[in-house]
Amino acid sequence: MTSSPGFKTDLLGAIPSLRAFAVSLAQNADKADDLVQETLVKAWDKQSSFQPGTNLKAWLFTILRNEFYSQMRKRGREVQDSDGVMTARLAVHPSQHGLLDLEDFRAALEQLPEDQREAIILIGASGFSYEEAAEICQCAVGTIKSRVSRARTRLQEILKISGEADFGPDAIATQVMGSAVA
Amino acid sequence: MYRMIKDTPGAPGAKPRPTSSAELLGANSEIGRKLKQYYDELVSDEVPDRFEQLLSQLEQTKKD
Repeated sequence: MTSSPGFKTDLLGAIPSLRAFAVSLAQNADKADDLVQETLVKAWDKQSSFQPGTNLKAWLFTILRNEFYSQMRKRGREVQDSDGVMTARLAVHPSQHGLLDLEDFRAALEQLPEDQREAIILIGASGFSYEEAAEICQCAVGTIKSRVSRARTRLQEILKISGEADFGPDAIATQVMGSAVA
Repeated sequence: MYRMIKDTPGAPGAKPRPTSSAELLGANSEIGRKLKQYYDELVSDEVPDRFEQLLSQLEQTKKD
């Protein structure tokens, strides 16, 4: 079959979003760009399976996401399990004026499990509907909703802790004790 | 449009059901705003040339 001339242009146009999603998933710019490259090659090969008129961005995100998880499986999850989580945890310090700093936010986002992080990114930042996100993640709409909800709660917890005081690991206890501490 | 969120820790199991992302992560929410800011910064990052080159290569191989 002949490739449609618009396909390349459409792929080019999707690259900025693909890279943003890849960085959000991989938490590393080099790995992210490798993912995008792999996605473009796969998308090109599977071009005939894309139905024109459907959402190309969602189709590409699905390919990228599958690639990410298959790479993670191959690497035995060394990507995130090692010390990444701990360093991120330590990196969240109280912001100086109680303002939510972008760096704090980034560090908090890194602490989320991948499934929650991708859900909140797809819904809250990439502009997908719950239905589209469910299709990209190959799960039920309700699952996406609950992941987004848990991600949000978790972020609030992490960021509130960082905003209140330097209590470290006991911050949960201070939350339980409530205003008595403050 | 933005519901007042009552802080009632004494109501276990009474989780509000999120109905839309606007409610969950809307423009009024600090997390929603930061999420956008974080992502928009990534999207606006300059795309390296290698991707356009890659696509041109793919286009060539297809024609051959």
